[in-house]
Amino acid sequence: MATVTDISPAGAKTLDLHVSPLGRVEGDLDVRVSIRDGVVTSAWTEAAMFRGFEIILKGKDPQAGLIVTPRICGICGGSHLYKAVYALDTAWKTELPPNATLVRNIAQACETLQSIPRWFYALFAIDLTNKNYARAEGYDEAVRRFAPFVGTSYEVGVTLSGKPVEVYAIYGGQWPHSSFMIPGGVMCGPTLADVTRSIAILDYWKDEWLEKRWLGGSVERWLENKSWADVLAWVDENEGHYNSDCGFFIRFAQRIGLDRFGAGFGNYLATGTYFNPELYARPTIEGRNAALINRSGVFVDGHYYDFDQANVREDVTHSFYEGSHALHPFEGRTEPVDPAIGRKQGKYSFAKAPRYEIPGVGSRPLEAGPLARQVVAGKPGAASWQDFDPLFHDAVTTVGPSVLVRVMARMHEAAKYYKLARGWLDQLDLHEKFYIKPQELPDGRGFGSTEAARGSLSDWIVIKEGKIENYQVVTPTAWNIGPRDSREVNGPMEQAFVGAPIADTSDPVELGHVARSFDSCLVCTVHAYDEKTGKELARFRIGEGA
Amino acid sequence: MATLLWFQGGACSGNTMSFLNAEEPSACDLVTDFGIDILWHPSLGMELGEAAQRLFYECARGERPLDIFVFEGTVIQGPGGSGRYDMFADRPMKDWVLELANQASIVVAIGDCACWGGIPAVAPNPSDSTGLQYLRKARGGFLGADWRSKAGLPVINIPGCPAHPDWVTQILVAVASGRTADIALDDLQRPQTFFKSFTQTGCTRVQFFEYKQSTMEFGQGTRTGCLFYEFGCRGPMTHSPCNRILWNRQSSKTRAGMPCTGCTEPEFPFFDLAPGTVFKTQKISGTIPREVPTGTDPLSYMALAAAARVAAPKWSKEDMFVV
Repeated sequence: MATVTDISPAGAKTLDLHVSPLGRVEGDLDVRVSIRDGVVTSAWTEAAMFRGFEIILKGKDPQAGLIVTPRICGICGGSHLYKAVYALDTAWKTELPPNATLVRNIAQACETLQSIPRWFYALFAIDLTNKNYARAEGYDEAVRRFAPFVGTSYEVGVTLSGKPVEVYAIYGGQWPHSSFMIPGGVMCGPTLADVTRSIAILDYWKDEWLEKRWLGGSVERWLENKSWADVLAWVDENEGHYNSDCGFFIRFAQRIGLDRFGAGFGNYLATGTYFNPELYARPTIEGRNAALINRSGVFVDGHYYDFDQANVREDVTHSFYEGSHALHPFEGRTEPVDPAIGRKQGKYSFAKAPRYEIPGVGSRPLEAGPLARQVVAGKPGAASWQDFDPLFHDAVTTVGPSVLVRVMARMHEAAKYYKLARGWLDQLDLHEKFYIKPQELPDGRGFGSTEAARGSLSDWIVIKEGKIENYQVVTPTAWNIGPRDSREVNGPMEQAFVGAPIADTSDPVELGHVARSFDSCLVCTVHAYDEKTGKELARFRIGEGA
Repeated sequence: MATLLWFQGGACSGNTMSFLNAEEPSACDLVTDFGIDILWHPSLGMELGEAAQRLFYECARGERPLDIFVFEGTVIQGPGGSGRYDMFADRPMKDWVLELANQASIVVAIGDCACWGGIPAVAPNPSDSTGLQYLRKARGGFLGADWRSKAGLPVINIPGCPAHPDWVTQILVAVASGRTADIALDDLQRPQTFFKSFTQTGCTRVQFFEYKQSTMEFGQGTRTGCLFYEFGCRGPMTHSPCNRILWNRQSSKTRAGMPCTGCTEPEFPFFDLAPGTVFKTQKISGTIPREVPTGTDPLSYMALAAAARVAAPKWSKEDMFVV
């Protein structure tokens, strides 16, 4: 759905696409792109829905965030709960028994283990059946496996994705939208059968999906891959790997070029997740980095930096909020403006634009998500309890980031998080405490953060006289799809669109791949504009593949 | 074959995620075994591209039969009644909702947001959100109290935050298999087959409730007792089958030690999350629960409670859900 107008004096073709909605899941995202000579030259990502959770939380019970913030996103609701409770733990200076940290870790990991196959089959892989690829070798096989509802792997992948959250429900009562993590611990007091059932369910999921369907081999063998070259060699190692969904995907993705676009800035953020039970028994903002199992960090222009929440800003220059400030979330403000008015001020999105201030370097947009986490996992200096994994640092420095690399970083976590969750289940001491009642301090400030499936997710809470004075949430989707800032620097996803080749302007599936490789929790809409005149030419269109 | 269109307004997608946890039938079974033709859903791939656009307009104009319109999320009316806080396909989502609801045989609201406005409608309701036919407890909502679908039915409310997948899939199967007439609704337009019973019906803590034995602490403390007395559990006042049809095939919040927050009722979140109300039973004079189980009165209940405590056996004061 595009019109081609040859208006450039140089004879370059400028294409105008208007395609919508592009992605899938919470709220709507419009993406405008300008295309020239079959390549995207600029992009603007526009979050099109506003609910005002931060406004609702003002003046409420300090624990209201445990109920309200999971409802920001039902896909990452457990992650919202996890970071919201740590914001309160740090504000109230609680003590956490080791079991509480373990149960929180297990639950958080299980939400992500659910998300990995569900995202891959229900949201991402269906684009591989797009008719644009009909002439690619392996297309029939892609359709056989990944066609929505009827694909041989689709149904298995989507249905088995519900298994890890059965484990979540054993501890939290249900998934999505439990609020079972509270300052001082967790609400549950698991029994022996709860733990044995959890182990059986997780191992079933590992056997039936992760090893049989996805890897075509063992988790242990997959985890021996330490470089991108290792991954490619793994595919050809035996028929099991080669014909697995993973092996097939890597081969088919290369054939259709998913390894050649969607790079983005190559700058990454992980706030880290999962805590060492002994080291985070008394959660503090300052003590957070050292207690993490999956580390935090920032990777910019090839250099690693430590993450410090004090360096986060949210810029609203181009966001539908009053002003053009870039405030730290403790001072953050959420004052919406009518888009009809905001547009006249150059604003174009309900997402704020999160930026990270690197001392001595400056303010940067950073990509969040599995690739960011796995690049940070390659940071030197891991302590004995922390994850060190060089695989994706190698990938981004040898073959460079792309849609394929971003997808594989996510899928890699299935094996890693399964191993972690199984280990934590073994460490639960059922005869010890799961909760230590805290003192509900009337005043305080807290910071909680985690890695949702799709990236760094953080809360900043200010409590005054027993109620919420200010509450700010910075989501991975805001990090990734946020708009330009005061210096007109693109957001990460805007940048990742730039350079994407569009083979068939009537069905620009490449844009869909880029957007969905970020797994933004928004239904995306793409409009494309005449690069010269800015005039929008094409009409509304719904659809996958753009 | 029944056609179904699923839209999301001010939504978190939690109901879609819950729906994807379904097993009997699974989301795939609905399509392959029960002939539900999902014309479009915001996060699942089906009819796409220009065909889907055409389909939207055809449904909205009544040119293509739409049997079931499912709506998830609030109808966002702000700012100033313009609906510009939720744009979809270049129009306020509310305009799509009105046109599609009027053309559908049956309209199903899934989750609290679509039923009553849910969390986004909590004061000060910054987006001016409402449910399809209710705003919290007040009938009316976006479509109006007297609105009826083409089949002559009001909006079928399947509340919950989120709704359990079975509540959704079983109603869809009932519609697709010609049992629409069997869907009896209660006075909040909820299917009685699910919402006549209480959340407490089937709760594993009900014997502690019988003898008025309280859980005294979260965590290890939830191995005994009932959560109604101290932790604000709304199980005796909330209508849902959470302890008849378990969550994720495993458990429920109250079984796992989390107080019911009453999320299938229009007042959720109760007390608008005012300071001191979260996970705490509201009491009169510091001892008597301000709210007693549905249908009883405080005096009768206190008499029953006093007698029950006298009758309480020794085991009711000990841990039951042990290692």
